[in-house]
This record gives sequence, C-alpha cells and structure tokens, in this order.
Amino acid sequence: MLRSTGKILSLSAVVLMATSAISHAEPSEELIAAAKAEGMFSPIALPHDWCGWEGILAGFKAKYPEITLNELNPDAGSADEIEAIKANKDNKGPQAPDMVDVGLSFGPAATKEGLFLPYKVETFDGIDVKDPDGHWYGGYYGVLSFEVNTDIVKNVPQDWEDLLKPEYANSVALAGDPRAANQAILSVYAAGLAASGGDAAKAPQAGLDFFKKLNDAGNFVPVIGKAASLAQGTTPIVIRWDYNALADRDTLAGNPPVEVVVPKSGVLAGVYAQAISAYAPHPNAAKLWMEYIYSDEGQLGFLKGYCHPARFNQLVAEGKVPQEILDKLPPAELYKQAIFPSLEEQDANKNAVTGGWDSVVGANVE
Amino acid sequence: MRRRQGGASASTKRVRMTFTTGEANILGATLPAPTARRQFSFAWLGVMPFLLFALLFLILPTMKIVVGSFQSNEGGFTLANIANLFQPSILAAYWISIKISVASALLGCFVGFLIAWAMVLGGLPGWLRSPILTFSGVASNFAGIPLAFAFLATFGRLGLVTLILRDWFDINIYGLGFNLLSFGGLTLTYLFFQIPLTVLIITPALDGMRREWREAASMLGATGFQYWRIVALPILWPSLLGTFALLFANSFGAVATAYALTGSSLSIVPILLFAQIRGDVLQDPHLGYALAFGMIVITGIANFIYIWLRARSERWVK
Amino acid sequence: MRANRIWSWLFVALGILYFAFPLVGTLEFSLKMRRGAYSLDAYAVVLGDPRFQQTFGYSVLMALATIVVGVLLVVPTAYWVRLKLPRWRPFMEFITLLPLVIPPIVIVFGYIRLYNTSSWLPLTGSAMGTNILLMFGYVVLALPYMYRAVDTGLRAIDIATLTEAAQSLGAGWVTILARVILPNVAVAVLSGAFLTFAIVIGEFVMAALLSRPAFGPYMQLLGANRAYEPAALAVIAFAITWACMALIQVVSRFAPKPPEQQH
Repeated sequence: MLRSTGKILSLSAVVLMATSAISHAEPSEELIAAAKAEGMFSPIALPHDWCGWEGILAGFKAKYPEITLNELNPDAGSADEIEAIKANKDNKGPQAPDMVDVGLSFGPAATKEGLFLPYKVETFDGIDVKDPDGHWYGGYYGVLSFEVNTDIVKNVPQDWEDLLKPEYANSVALAGDPRAANQAILSVYAAGLAASGGDAAKAPQAGLDFFKKLNDAGNFVPVIGKAASLAQGTTPIVIRWDYNALADRDTLAGNPPVEVVVPKSGVLAGVYAQAISAYAPHPNAAKLWMEYIYSDEGQLGFLKGYCHPARFNQLVAEGKVPQEILDKLPPAELYKQAIFPSLEEQDANKNAVTGGWDSVVGANVE
Repeated sequence: MRRRQGGASASTKRVRMTFTTGEANILGATLPAPTARRQFSFAWLGVMPFLLFALLFLILPTMKIVVGSFQSNEGGFTLANIANLFQPSILAAYWISIKISVASALLGCFVGFLIAWAMVLGGLPGWLRSPILTFSGVASNFAGIPLAFAFLATFGRLGLVTLILRDWFDINIYGLGFNLLSFGGLTLTYLFFQIPLTVLIITPALDGMRREWREAASMLGATGFQYWRIVALPILWPSLLGTFALLFANSFGAVATAYALTGSSLSIVPILLFAQIRGDVLQDPHLGYALAFGMIVITGIANFIYIWLRARSERWVK
Repeated sequence: MRANRIWSWLFVALGILYFAFPLVGTLEFSLKMRRGAYSLDAYAVVLGDPRFQQTFGYSVLMALATIVVGVLLVVPTAYWVRLKLPRWRPFMEFITLLPLVIPPIVIVFGYIRLYNTSSWLPLTGSAMGTNILLMFGYVVLALPYMYRAVDTGLRAIDIATLTEAAQSLGAGWVTILARVILPNVAVAVLSGAFLTFAIVIGEFVMAALLSRPAFGPYMQLLGANRAYEPAALAVIAFAITWACMALIQVVSRFAPKPPEQQH
C-alpha cells in the first residue's frame, strides 16, 4: 500500500514538475480548436499606437489566421468599454466586445456587477496584480508624463507647478475625458499628489483644485489630446502615459519634434487590467487571446511599445528580454520613485473625480 | 451633406397627367370587366417590395424609437422619459444644438442669398453660373469628417489662414480669443455646406423674378431699396424661410463633422445620442429614446415648414 | 446697375475666398509631412496602409451593393406608381422624404434596438447580417435622391405608350422593365448612382454605430491619431466627391428632354 502510494506520489510529483515546466508553453489543443471554431475575436479599445498593440494584434493574427480580428472602437475610454459590455448583454453579434482593457480601478466594480468571465491563464502565477479568482489581471503599466510639441512650446515644463505659468496659455490638455477615461482620471490624481505633497487622501480634491486653477488661468484646453491635436497645435502639451508619448514621438518622427518629460514630483504609475466579458460572443477566442498576450511572445510585444508588462520582473529574471528593448525603455530610476496607488485609493479617486469634475472644474467646450 | 434637386424640377413644366390616366383607362378598358378588379389588386402588389422595405427599414425603426420614448422599464405608458429630458445637462445640449443650427442657418441663408443674387440678378457674366452651381452641388455634399479635417488645416492653431494672418498681417486670432473648437468655430465650419445648399435652392426662386417687375417698379418711381422691400422680398420670403428651415434641420442632425472636429467634448444633442447608443452614458436606456424622439420632433417640424413653404413659393415659379 | 455689378463681384470674390481657403489649406497641410519640404509622404502612408485599402474597399463594395439594390427597388416602383397608381404619388413622395426628416442617427438607433440578437429578425447577430442591415440603411439614406432622379427621368419619357407597345408585342413585365424602361432612364439612374456613391463613401454614423469597418470610421480614427494623414484623406475624399458630381454633369448631357419643356 505504502509502496503504491509512494509510486503515485512520485508519479504525481513528476506530473506536477512537468506541468510547471510547460506552464510557459502553448495553450491546450482543445482551447485552440474551440477558439478556431468560433472564428472571430472582437477586442475593444486597443489603439494601434498604444503599448505595442499593433504588433501584438499582428502576432496573434499570424499565429491563428483562422480567427478573424474584429477591432471595435479603438478610442474608447475605460468607462466606455464597460458600458459596451452592458449595452450588448443580449447581443451576440459583431458589435459585442469579447474582452476589455481597462484602468485598474474599473476592475473590482465591474467584477461585482458580474461583467467579467473568470479565467486563469497558464502564466497566472507570474502576474503581480490580479483578482485572486481570475476575473481580471494586470496587463501593463507606465507612468504619467508630459508630451510636449517643442515646435510650439520652447520652454518645456518640468513639473506640475510649471503648467500654471502664463506662458502655457491655451496649451495643456488631458488625453481623455476625466469623467470616463482612466488616463485622465489618474492625471488628476497625479497632479493632486504633487500639490498635496504625496498625501493620498487629499490627492483627489487637490487634483480637482489644480485643474480648476489651470482652467481659470486659461491654460487648460478642454479637448481630448491626441497625436493629431498635438501636432496641429491645438493641444501642444498633453498629459499622457509615457509609453503613448514615446510612441507618438516615433510616429511623428520629428515633424513636429516631441519631448517626453516625466514630472519631478507626483510620478504616478498606472496599471491596466485585462478581462474577458461575461457576455462575450466568442469566449474561447478571448481565452486564447489572453493566453497569447501573457505568453513570452505577447509580453515582449508590450515591451516593444515602451510598456512594462505584467510579467516584467519574471521575464527579466529569466533573462528573456533582449538588451535593445531594455535600453529603449524610460530610465529605471524614474520607475523606482513611481507611486502605485492601491485599489482603495484609486476607487476613492475615481469617485471623487468623475463625480466632482463638472462641479469643481466645469470645463466644457462652449 | 444633402443635395436638393427640388428647385430644378419645380421650374420644369410638368407632363400633363390627363394623358397618362387616359391611357390607363384605355389599357383597363381593353380587358374584360371581371379582370379589371383583379388588375387593381395586382397593381397594389407591384409596390409591395418597396413598401415592405420602407416598413422594415424606415418606418418600424422610427416607430420603435417613438414608442420606446413613451415606455417605462416595465413596458407601460409613461411620460417620465420626456419629462427627464428637461434636466439641465440635456436642456443645455439641446440649447447649444439649437444655437448652432440657428446661427449657421441664418448666416448660410444670408450669405448664400447674396451669392445667388450676385449670380442671377447681379449683372455678372453668364458663364459664371454653371461653375458656381456645380461647385455648390459638390460643396453641399462635402460635410462630415473630411470637412472637419479641412477646417483644422485652415483655421486650426497651425492652419493656413491662422499662419497667414499671423505672419503677414500680425494678427493672432487665437490670441484674440478665436477658437475653432467652439460654438463659433463649428458654425463657421457648417457654413461650408450651408451656403452652397442655399445657393442651390434659392437660385430657381431668383430665376423666377421677372425683369419686368424691376423695370415696372422703377418706372413707377421706386428706388432699389423700395423695390426690394415692397416687391421682391415679399415674393421671396417663403423660399427664404423654407431654406432657413431646411438648413436648420440639416445642421441639427449633423453628427460626423462635429464629432471629427471636437471629439465628443462638444455636448450637442446628436453627439450625446451617439455616446448613449454606444454605451448608456446617461444610465437610462429610455432616456436615449426620448433624446432621439426630441430630435425627430425638431427636425420634423423644420422640414415640414420647408416643404409647406416650398409648395407656397412654387406658385410664383411657373 | 454698375454699382450692382461691383457688389456682385465683391460677394462672389468673398465667397470664392471662403471656399478656396479650406481646400488650399488642406492640400498644403497634407504636403507638409516631411519637415521642411513639400512631399507626398502623407499620401504614400495613407495609400499604403492596409486598413485604408480594406475600409475603402469595403465602402466601395457597399456603395455598389446599395446602388444595385436601390435601382432594383426604386425603378420598378416609380414606374409602377406612374403607370398604375397615380393617386399614390403624394404618399410615395412623403415616404421618400422621410429619410431627410429623420436624422440617420435615429434610424440606426432604431435598427440596433429592433434587429438585435433577441429580436425576431436578428440581423446584428452576424457580420453578414450586419452588413446587410447597413446596406439597407444606406439605401434608405440614398432613397430621396434616387427616387427623385428616377422619377424625373420617367417624367421625360412616355411610359404609357412604351408599355402598351411592348405589351402588344407580347412582352412580360420583367422584359418591359429591363429592356424598354431601364435603358430609357439609364441617365437618371446613373445620376442617382453617382450621388449614392458619394454619400456611402463618406458616411460615418451608421457604420460607426454598427461597428462595421467602413471608410468613414477609418477616416475619423486616423483623424484623431495622426497629424498629416487626415488632410491627405480629406483631399482624396473631396476628389472622389468632385469626380462623382462631375460624372453626373457629364452624364446629364445625354438625358432625353421632356417633350413640353419651356426655358
């Protein structure tokens, strides 16, 4: 009896080791077959210039050509993505999104509403920030920076306080709607952290007050800042994630020249969570997609887009990141002082900003 | 965005209908009496595909919206959705939409009228008319996204006109407070298709202004101003008012240009509805129906004013 | 009268300025992609972008389908009403004016609510179904112009005599429509077709809300994220619209004149 138990134990030990060895390997055959049977995958809010999504999408398409990519609304903000899931609860057609890429603070609330399908990718353990049941999991992160069009703005601002200077009249914009987009909501928080000296509890209100001052001074442009508006001079200074700013700098290729500055105080890191919609028309394709982006290949794709992927530390420890990619990333010292707000802090901030923006700042294009 | 050929056909003499119905009678009379009845029902079937199409893809969707705006979540009749339209943010959206539509319609009518007048009655060479009308036809269809890009490239911060004014004339329009992404800027952009539309519609009406009236008026001692006030404008005002109504409706319903110009930051009603359809930003699906219903009512009234006035003005254009 | 003429020239000149500047400005901006020199780089990027080719191809296909379905729907109907149901004309005119009264955003909203996957006609449940729905939406948008054009064309020919002659020679309804009526209204149909083409290519709201990969949403996406390429797209779009209108003008020269037309 003991001997056979021993054999079973050692056998299971072998199996366990074998499975952990292949934990970085291919997804299961059934999953691939099921995904191919569904034939389509509808991601939402994946702009091609954001964090290397273009390369990742191309890689997925090359690996599984039987799955048609149906890209929905690349410019959607995090709140828009959640609303898209809700709006398509009864709709299994090509307008319904299969997955979302939302700011971290949107994850827990949506999980409570039952909007996400729990799933643990093969490499689940290597992910730092995640929901323990697999409803959502952190995808990538970066820090907030100022993206400056140096053709128009000669004196590049170095910190949040600088933005209030009169020389930046009609220049500063957020990269999203502060009532819906994670990027904009956290920009307010970052400004608040700088103004309140790092006090997380006071930061949301301080941030709103900062933007009220910015708006009253006439420096704030109430338009969503993008590469086009930056180059055309409508919004010469945009508060954006560093990876987006760096990608824009590459796309514009010096015409106009773009400088990316991480502010000295209030360096805020933002994590984006990935999740599968509970009402996804193609759940297996969505699972296959998740497997892909958390595989080594997918994670390197994020790095090429200047993002720090979820398994960054693990990959660096395993020596899988090529040196050229590491060199192109923003300096590591900046990331050392970056503040990663907790879920509670982000939640409190989100409620404060989305609720208070209209009444405190009240900036609307007239 | 819309091209009206109503003006052109109004000035064409109608083929007399009696001839056709006479022929139909002859056709009907050649068949034996019992089949005449069957032929009538057969005729009705001939337009069935069209009616089915119109029902499925035009009438039913609209009715669904109209009915839905009066339905509550449980399905019962309610006026609550319409009442909810009167909250400040939505009223503000309607108000901005109406302001922009009125402004672009008024300016479009005025400027378009001047250009049409110059072309028809202003003593310009006749070869100018065809290019102006052709260009008007093209420009009135140039609404939407390309138009927004064009105006950004012209009046934006680094636009052609902005740079010319700054470098040649030392006028910094942005320093003076001008901003393309505003009520004024959007109106300016809308004029690009409103003015040509006016030209297309008003030209036939101006064509109908007989030279004899002008000559008779001056023989009776009227000055130019009096002629316009007493003779010409009373004749033209149905056309002008109708054009205004049409331009208003056109501008009110336009989404693409505003969206491409301002993203979704300008809160006009179509953009609000766009966001609501994409994902319930108003947290109340039935409010979306009410919003759409409000749009239908406003554009409906404006369009029917146009049609009624066009019928009236056609009396003069025989 | 001379004072009048000065004013006239002034108005026309100002008008020309207002309309020329945006066009020139767009063209100039689109050539500025390479720093310091005019170049066609923006056009090269746009035309080489696979998404441009896909979305443009999709919209062209949609436009052609819309034209075919529109002609098949409108020509027999307009003919039938003229011939057999003259008392229905006001009713038909009312229906064909409805798409101009009801904003397209409301129509597509109705589609989404009416034809989603939980309805009796789940058109939005599949890509093909949504394509068909979008095409019918485009037919609705083009209906006023198509119907008006065909009706004007039918007015110019004597359909009653033509029909009677064809019937006496033993033709059935399909033959009459296809081989007698259609060739005679070909010019009017072509005018309507070009206008439909211009409308469909630039259309944004319906395609965006039904999430179809059409040219309109692509233009809007590029406009948000790129600086110089949107200007190139605008020039291309304008050139296409102009070409359509020019073709209408050319084709209209060959229209048969109605028998009793006064000038």
